[in-house]
Parts: sequence; structure tokens; C-alpha cells
Amino acid sequence: MAEDSDQFNGRMGLIFASIGAAIGTGNIWRFPRMVGANGGGTFLVPWLFFLFIWSIPLVIAEYAMGKRSRTGTIGTFRIFAGKKFAWMGLWTAWISTAIGFYYAVVSGWTIKYFQLGITGALNGEDVDTTEVWNAFLQNPGQVIFFQFLVIVLTLAAIWKGAKAIEKVNFYLMISLFALLFLTLFLSLWMDFSDGTLDGALFMFTVDFDMLMEPEVWINGLSQSAWSCSAGMGMCITYAVYMSKDEDTVLNAFTMGLANNSISIIAGLAVLSAIFAVNPDPLATVTGGSSAITFLALPEVFALAPFAPIGPLFMMAGFFLALSFAAMTSMISTVELCVRNFVDHGYERGKSVALTGVALFMFGLPSAVMWVKLDSNGVAFPEFLEVQDHIWGYGLMFSGLFIAFSIWKYGYYRWKSGVEAGVAPPGFKGYLGFGVSAFRDDFINTGDNDMHVGRWWDLLMYLAFPILFAVLMLSYFSDMVANTPNVWDPSNPKGLSIIFLFWGVVATLFIFFNKFLIRRPLYRNIPNGADVDISTLPGGDDELVVALGEVAPGFEHLSKDYTLDAELV
Amino acid sequence: MILNGKVIRTRPSFGVLIVLPLLLSLIAPIANASVAQDEPMGTTPEDVWSDDYINMVFPWAPANEAKLQFKEYHSYETMKDRMQELTDENDDIFQFLEGLNGGVNARGETTTGDTYEGWVYAHASPWLKITGDVYDGDYNEFVGDSGNYADRPDVMIVGNHHAREWMSYETPLMVMEVIAFSYNNIGYDNDGDGRVDEDGWGDDNGDGILDDDGDCLALDASFQDSNGDGTPCGAGDLGVDEDYSEQWITDLVNSREIYLIPMLNVDGNIYDREVFCPAPAWETCPSGGWRKNLRNNGPEPGPDLTQNVDEDCDGVDLNRNYQFEWGWPLGATIPLIPGTCTPSEDEQAGVSNNDVYTGPFDTKDNDGDGLINEDNVDGEDDDNDGVKDEDWAGGNSEPETRFIQDMTEMNDDNGDGESEYKATLTYHSYSELVLYPWGHCADCQTTDHEQLIYHGDEMAEMTQYTNMQSSDLYPTTGDFCDWHYGVHGSYCYTMEIGTAFHQNEIDIDHIAVRNLGVAFYMTEIADNPREQANLGIANISQQNILQQLEDVDIPEEGDIPIDLCVPTELKASAPNSKIQWRTVKPSRLQSDYGPREWATTAWESVGVMEIEGTCSIANGNGTILRGMIPISETATGTLHYKASVTTRDSSEFQYPGDGDYYTLDLSYRKAYGSVFGSLVMFGITATFVWGGLAVCLRMMLKDDEELDLAAAEVAEMANA
Repeated sequence: MAEDSDQFNGRMGLIFASIGAAIGTGNIWRFPRMVGANGGGTFLVPWLFFLFIWSIPLVIAEYAMGKRSRTGTIGTFRIFAGKKFAWMGLWTAWISTAIGFYYAVVSGWTIKYFQLGITGALNGEDVDTTEVWNAFLQNPGQVIFFQFLVIVLTLAAIWKGAKAIEKVNFYLMISLFALLFLTLFLSLWMDFSDGTLDGALFMFTVDFDMLMEPEVWINGLSQSAWSCSAGMGMCITYAVYMSKDEDTVLNAFTMGLANNSISIIAGLAVLSAIFAVNPDPLATVTGGSSAITFLALPEVFALAPFAPIGPLFMMAGFFLALSFAAMTSMISTVELCVRNFVDHGYERGKSVALTGVALFMFGLPSAVMWVKLDSNGVAFPEFLEVQDHIWGYGLMFSGLFIAFSIWKYGYYRWKSGVEAGVAPPGFKGYLGFGVSAFRDDFINTGDNDMHVGRWWDLLMYLAFPILFAVLMLSYFSDMVANTPNVWDPSNPKGLSIIFLFWGVVATLFIFFNKFLIRRPLYRNIPNGADVDISTLPGGDDELVVALGEVAPGFEHLSKDYTLDAELV
Repeated sequence: MILNGKVIRTRPSFGVLIVLPLLLSLIAPIANASVAQDEPMGTTPEDVWSDDYINMVFPWAPANEAKLQFKEYHSYETMKDRMQELTDENDDIFQFLEGLNGGVNARGETTTGDTYEGWVYAHASPWLKITGDVYDGDYNEFVGDSGNYADRPDVMIVGNHHAREWMSYETPLMVMEVIAFSYNNIGYDNDGDGRVDEDGWGDDNGDGILDDDGDCLALDASFQDSNGDGTPCGAGDLGVDEDYSEQWITDLVNSREIYLIPMLNVDGNIYDREVFCPAPAWETCPSGGWRKNLRNNGPEPGPDLTQNVDEDCDGVDLNRNYQFEWGWPLGATIPLIPGTCTPSEDEQAGVSNNDVYTGPFDTKDNDGDGLINEDNVDGEDDDNDGVKDEDWAGGNSEPETRFIQDMTEMNDDNGDGESEYKATLTYHSYSELVLYPWGHCADCQTTDHEQLIYHGDEMAEMTQYTNMQSSDLYPTTGDFCDWHYGVHGSYCYTMEIGTAFHQNEIDIDHIAVRNLGVAFYMTEIADNPREQANLGIANISQQNILQQLEDVDIPEEGDIPIDLCVPTELKASAPNSKIQWRTVKPSRLQSDYGPREWATTAWESVGVMEIEGTCSIANGNGTILRGMIPISETATGTLHYKASVTTRDSSEFQYPGDGDYYTLDLSYRKAYGSVFGSLVMFGITATFVWGGLAVCLRMMLKDDEELDLAAAEVAEMANA
């Protein structure tokens, strides 16, 4: 067993990496927008509620799975759900990667805006932010350049593996905190110039009538899930690098709470700034995503105090923070993909390079294709939006697959327990033994300070499927109700196209499942870790070996070679 | 791939798997690259409109269906099939009927369904009853239709009195297609230019230019006269009045009863098509053909013995057979007395002297006073017996005219004994004229002369035809419009459309398009055409009687008042007027699809109250009607609103009209929050999120210390 197996140094490293994965542009622009559209403080109620009953429990599950399987998403599903279900991991990896294709483009925009901010190009009374935006978006060279820059920076950060990721994330996160606090300070200053803190007031006032509206709750759930990356496979990936006695529960809580802390700071900063200068702040906040970030906010920031230093700081600071947030998410996206390659015996360097090239190539259409003007004369990249439309919703299934693995494990464990005579038979026996099996075996391992009780089982087995169904139904019924020609397969914003692509991808992956499981899977096991998988549905797979071991039939992948691949 | 000297079989790696779906996702949406939605600035039709529109492909049927595309004439059979087909597809608004059920009619005669069947081919005229919820409302036993509502004005549209005037039934058929296609199909982009409902029939802004949206006028001059009538961007040209409002049509269907009789003279039409003037009729007899119905005017003299129809003698001109001022005393044409027909060799070429036979004299003593025909139908009590028009000289002798007469007199939704049809329209060919009563007298005027001219001018403007009194063209007796106006006070117009009896097939589509708007205009004014005309003549028109509604003051809290400034002359009835509204939340996704996006959002309405004070309008002062729209203070988005004002004489006016509406952006009106409440919520949030985070971090640091301690112990033990 390799002494210096690839893992995070301290738990802060892991935490920073996970928070980095979770904090993305969603915290910084999506959260303020959701607060604005869902009755201000009213929105905080479901958003907090679902943090504890959806996001954190799911993250606990992901950490627990990754820590035990010590592989990326494909390996984790292969081990936890059984050989037949490796494709679920492939789906999870694919969705995340497909989103990465266009996410790199969006990250590029944020860097471009940082550049514009620091050079003062967005300051001044005569700057038309729409013109700036349109000029940029309609210039393919520029867009591609910044997309390329993001990918190069991301690859550089993860080239060397977990330790490098840890370091990069650490500095990015610290800078992000600092920049956000700076922006918050300036925003509050602006908002208070008229003697009131309208933005803060709005953000923390609960409207109890509105609290009765299901839409607010559904939005709260999706915002919490989106922004914590719960159920997206990110935490499975990072758990691979956990040291052997890491406390998964505490980590999950820390990550979720840190993520929400950032959201609050960013939300307060953005809302205060908008409420300070805008006559109809809510209309602005509820505008389109790119509209608020790249059109409204620069206008708001240009009015910051202490001109010209204030606006400059605010503009550059905000967009730098945004690009850092985007970069950390980019890093985790790439790492999720790379981890899966490495697990299957590919050299890390090659995997990183391959992922990078794919990201760039397949991101190109999103960068330059179908850049159109909407009815207000604002440019928007339609191809990118179509990609987002198709793959964005696919994320939800990754969460369902995780829950499925847990259910499957519970049933499998109970069944084999009954056969071995250690578990009580019958439905009552299942409830007592099977339902809690995952929690008993992988969460309450003794490494955790906080004991996770029966509530977690209830959430996974009851609340999760109900909430998932509600979420899916509300998304789709909303789409059916609000999209013209929603069933027309040629409508890029319709439902048929989503189902078509999901269907094709899922079918393809299920078909390729049998090729996938013929490959050996190398687990990244730290020294002395308790990583017994014999009780798992995929535990009898002889092709699943620890890193450095030789998989039967794959002797040609020499020990040194596979080891080298991991330990560069 | 070769590694360490061994050949390794390459397996499908998941790198490939990742690539495959992506390639798929790249290909598929390309096929959907949406059509350019730019402003029409180009100089060729292709720059502006959809290909289908340019090629006059109508959206209600496949491009290769020549008849449904108005590239080929319907026959009686195909017309009837299509009417039935559309009725099946639109059974909420269409009811298909043939003739009438019959019974005891208004003058005490007993009729049956057979009464209304043509003499030779024995078909009753097929017709459609069109109104919203047509199977609700009252059922009329005599007429056979349901969907009779006392509060819905009725309009009658009749085509093909004269067998050879083929455009006169094609045009009503297009009216039918348009209604079927437009009903509840709100916001359809008829010309495919990305804009919706931007150019309705007529001249909206009063600048004398029909092409309100200017898309035809912006074309290169060589494309401006697509129908080749010599008028660039004139009525019937591409881009002129081409994108009418489906909402407006839907509203009309829901608030009117339309009686659409596309082919009155089925007998004559079949005979003209199959026997008298075989295809292609527009080459063999463009301005000839069979005109009358197929009444047998007797076997004597001549070659009538062996055939159903004696071409030289038989038939009655249906449009001379109505009873009002029938045939006599001012008849321009002497009734053809049976047996004295004047045959002509050139009849097929249209040279004929008995084409306007009015039908036989009545030989009955209708009132049983021993005198015959002493009180003709003219609105006067000619014999001073206290009863008007009870012993007529003739007319109404044909199945087709009896059908019209009984339908008119037996359709009485509100039971007041008067005709429901305040507006009636009949299509004829040809001459490009709009004709209004009278037809039977020269140098005479109706009592509604001004009003009739007013509506006639409106329709002449939209068709670019000439408006004139019927008798100024040539005097006629017993025509449809004289009877409808003279007997029932109905505003009745005769449209003389096109330039030939048998118009060339290639001209069907654009002539029908040119004359569509007229049918809807008549439908709209059917509520009270006289008042509508009076208000129009007095220039109390849609544009200047109501204040633009945009200057709405949104109060800090409570309902939003919408004011209508109504001229006193309008005599608006506040209890019957209302403001319709709905709120919508626009999103980017929806704005890509234009105004169509709200088609399914239902309208709600609030009543209006007359409030103190006056407001100013173009003609002086007006009264204010105010509706309070219940909008919550937290609502954001857009408010759509429009008004419907009903006068005390039950004319209805829509504002802004044409199915359009005003929009008002709504902003959040409530206070942004309470200080205390927000402090509490901030406390809760901060405790949970930041407090929780602090607890977690502390536990974590403690753990790390313990680990360090443990590590130190291990190290010590190792040292020891």
C-alpha cells in the first residue's frame, strides 16, 4: 500500500474543496434572484428548512459512500448499487461534465467582467451595460479566449491532484470571503445613505401569506439542492481523498452551513446594492440571470460611494469573487470526470488533458453558436441555454440514484443478514435492520462526533422520494403550462427534447454498462483505512482492486504503471 | 495500442461514451434553429414573411389541398363535405344544417324540410350556425339551430344567389375557414414575420393607407402588387391587412350569432358547373354562365319536353324574387310571363333578356277579401284595410328565397316579433362595388341614408371598392337587401366582388382575402348598426372617445383604478360596461414566442362606476367610468387590461379594440419589510447558519487537536 496515497492533508483542505465545489455562481447571483422573486425573508424559511432535511442528509450519504468506495462516481455506484448499475455513475459523471462544457463559457464571462471592472470600462455615466454585454457576447474570439483561459487555469489547478486542489481552493475561498465582505460593506453603506436598509429589511422580512404558497417552497428546495451541490456526485469524488478517520457528518454540516453563509453574504450585498439605487428593485432582481449579473449589477456598482475607488473596488471585487466561485466549481467538475478516468487505470495527466480538450472543444458551440438578441435587444447565447435546459434538469436524477443505492444496500444487507441468520426476517425485520443498514455501517462508524439518528433513515426513505416527486412534477408541470409547443420535439425549449436526450443517453449508458464493468476498478485506499466492501452489492467483483494491486486478467496494466498513474 | 510490448485490445472507453451523447446534442438542436425574427426591413417578400405566406399557403390545410388552399373551386359536394368536416372539428362553435325544419311560418303557411329544396337537384342550401357554445342556448324548432341567445346580435351572410358567381361562395367559405382556424388560436402570426396581429382589416390609424404595418410598402416596388390588380399594396395584396387579430375574431364568435349560407342557389350552381358551362368556365364563359335557379317555367313553347331545364326559358333570378317592391310597379324588368320567354342564341355568352325573371305573379287572394294583389309588400297599407302588405303581387315563390325569408322571420331569439338580423350581407360578382339600399327606386333615399353610406364607406375602404346606392348602378326590384332593409330594417349590403362571373382559378385566393374583412365588419356592427354609424359620423370613434388608458395612477395600496373617459354623447351604460384584466409574469423564455404566450391566460372582468368630475376628450368633456382592478400589493409582473363599453342602445365598443389590450408594468407596492420582523428573522438565520457553522468549526478544531495529541502519543510510544 502506498504511503503517500492521494488524499487531503487536513480536514480543512477537504472542507475548502467541498465548499469550493458547492459555492458557485448559484450562490452569488441565483440566490439573490430567488430571494427577490419569492418574497424576501419568506424565502429564507424553506431555504433553511431544506438545508437540514434535504441537502445535508444527502451530502452525508455522498461522503459516506465515497469514503467507503474510494472511487469516483462510476466506481461508487458499481460497488454500492451493484455491477448492473455502474451506468448510474456514468450518468452522474456525464451530467456534471456536460454542464462543465458550458459552465466554462460562463466562467469565462465572469473573468471578462473582472477585466472590464478593473480597467474601469464599466464605470462612468455614459456606459451602456447592454452595449458592453452585446459587444462581448457577439465577439466569438473574446468569448473563446476567456473560455480557454478558464480551462487552462482549471487544469493547472488540478494537474497535480488533491493536494494542489486543496491549496488552490484554500486561496480562492479566502479571497472570495474577503471580496464578498468588501462588497457587502460597500453595499450596506450605499443602502444606508438614505437612512434605511431596504435591502436587508426585505431580505429578512417574512410574509406569512406568501409562506403558504407551494411555489416558494419548491423554489427553496431547488435553490438549496442546487447551491449545495447535494446529490450531484461532487462529494462522492472529494470523499475519495478523505483521510481514513474523517468525520463525514461534521463535514457535511460544515459544508452546508458554510455554503449558506456565503449565500447570505452575497445575497445581502447584491440586494442592498440594488435596493439602494434602483427605483423598482424587485423587477430588476427578478429579471433574467445574465441580465441581473452582467447588466444590472455593473450599473448599481457604478454608483458606489468613494468614487472612483469605490465603484472600481466593488466592480472588480464582485466579479473577481464571482470568477473564483465559478473556478472552484469548475475544478470540482473536472476532478469528478478525471477521478473516473483514473479509477479505471488511466494516467492522471492524460485524463486531465483529455478532459480539458473535451471541455474546450464541446464548449465551443455554447460559446459562439446562436448568439441572438432577445426582444429587449439583449444578446443571449441560445445554444448554451438549450444545453442548460437539457442537462440542468438531469442533475436531479443523480440524487435519485444516490438514494436508490442506499435503498438497495439496505435491502441487500437485510436479505443477506436473514440468510446468515443475523437479521430478523419479515417486514418488521426489514424496517429494523435493513432501513438503518447504510447508516449503521457507513455513517455511524465511530469517526463521527455527531451520532446520526433514525431521522436520517426517515428522510432518505420517505421524505426524499416525496420531495423528489414534488420537485420533478412541479418543474415539468410548470414547463408544460408555460412553454408553447412544449411537446414539439423540434422546440429546443420543450419537454420532448429533454426526454429525447435523457432517453438516448440513459439507453446508451445502460448498453455500455457491460463494457464498463469489464474494466478493472482501482480504489484509492489510504493506509489502514476501514474500507471493507464485502457486504456491499458490488463487493464480490474481483475486478475491483485497491490501487497498486493487480486485477485478474489485466496483468498487462503493470503495478508500476497503475501506481504511477495515481501518484504523480 | 501497444504497451510494454503487448498488444492491448482497445475497449469502448467511457471517453467515447461521453463524446457520443454530446455529438447527438450538437446535431439535434441545429435542425431547430428558429426562424429569424428581425424587423421587416428587407426589400423582397422573403426578407419579411414566411415562405408559406408568400406563396399564399393557408395555414388551415396542407399545401397540396388545392380546394382548401383556394387554388381551385369547390363544388357543392366538396363544399358541403368541408363544412361538415369543420363542424366536426369545431363542434363547440359550428353547427351544420341544410335548409330548415319547417313548420308553420310567420304568415301561417305550413312548410316542411322539402319546401326549401331546389326544384331539380332537390338539395336544400347547406349552412352553418356559428357562435360560441353553439350547442347551448335555445333551440329553434322551425329553423333547426341551437345556440340562440337573446343577448347575442345575429348576422346573416349569404353567397351565391346567382349560380355563375362563383367567387360569391368561395369568399364565405374562406370566412368559415378563418373563423375555424382563428377561434381560440390567439396570437397566431398569420404572415410569419415574427410580429403578431399587427395589421388588421381596414385602415387602423386613419392615414388612408391600408398597410398599417408598412411591410408591403417597404418592399421593392416590383413586389408591391402581388395580385396584379394595378394597385401597389392595395387590398388583397400580400402584406396588406394580413395579420388580423384572432382574439378579436374569437370575441366576435363568442358574442354574435353568425348565419353563414355560402351557397344559396345550389340548383343553379350545379347546373352551371356541370351542364351549362363546363370547366374551365373562366375560359369558355368568363362573363356568361347560368344565373338563375332552375324553376320550370312551363313546357310551352320550345324544347322543354325532353329536358329538365329549358335553357331559353327556365329559372328565376333569386335576387329579384324577394317580396319587397317585387317586380312592380317600378320594376326595371318585366316579369317573364310563362310561354313568352325570349330565347337567345347567345345566352351562354351572357347576352340574354330573361336573366332577371322575377318569378311568377301571385294568383292567390292572400287575405281573402275578394281582391288579388291589392296590397304589395312596400311597407304601406295600399288598400287602407288596416293591415300592411298582406296581399302581395308576387315574389318569395322559390325554395331558396323562402328559405331566407322563413329563416329571417322565424329566428326570434328575444320574442319581440322583429328580425334578429340587424346586419345582413350578401356576396355577388362582379364589379368591385359596395351596394346599399335602395335598389328599387331611382333618386330615392332610405331614412338611414347617411348611416348606410357610412358603413358602406368603411367597407369600401377596406376592399378599395366603390361604395354606391344599389339603384345608382341599375334599378332592381325584389332584391335581398331591399327586402331585408325595407321589411326588417336590417342594414344590408351587397358586395359585388371580383372582375368576372367565372373568375380564373388563380384569382380565387386573393379576391377572397380581399373581401374577408367585410364579413367580420358586418358581424361586429350587428349589435346596433344605426348607432354605430351615428357615433362614427359624429366622429365619436374608437380613437377619440376614450382616453388612452396608459396614464394610470397606481396607488400605494389597494386596488388599481382604471378610468375610461367616455363622451356624454356615447350614452354609455355603466352597469353593462366593464374592464377586463389579467396579470402575467413575463419571462425570457416566453418573450421569445411573442404575444402568443398569453393566449391561454384567462381574462377576468370588473364592473365600472360613474364617478364625479369630467375628463377631457377630443370633442370636449366626457364622464369618467372607473373600474377597480384588484391587484395585490405584492404582485409584480405585467397587468393587461382592456375595456368594453356598452351604450344604452346596446352597441358595444372594445378599447383599444381589435382584440388588443394595454399593458402596465406592476411593481411591488408593499413596504419592503418590518424592522422588528426582519431583526427576528435575521437572528434566526444567523443562529442557524453562522452559529451552526461556528459550532461545527469548533468541533472540528477540537478533533484536530485530539488527533495531534494522539499522534504525539503514538510518536512518544514509538520513541519509547
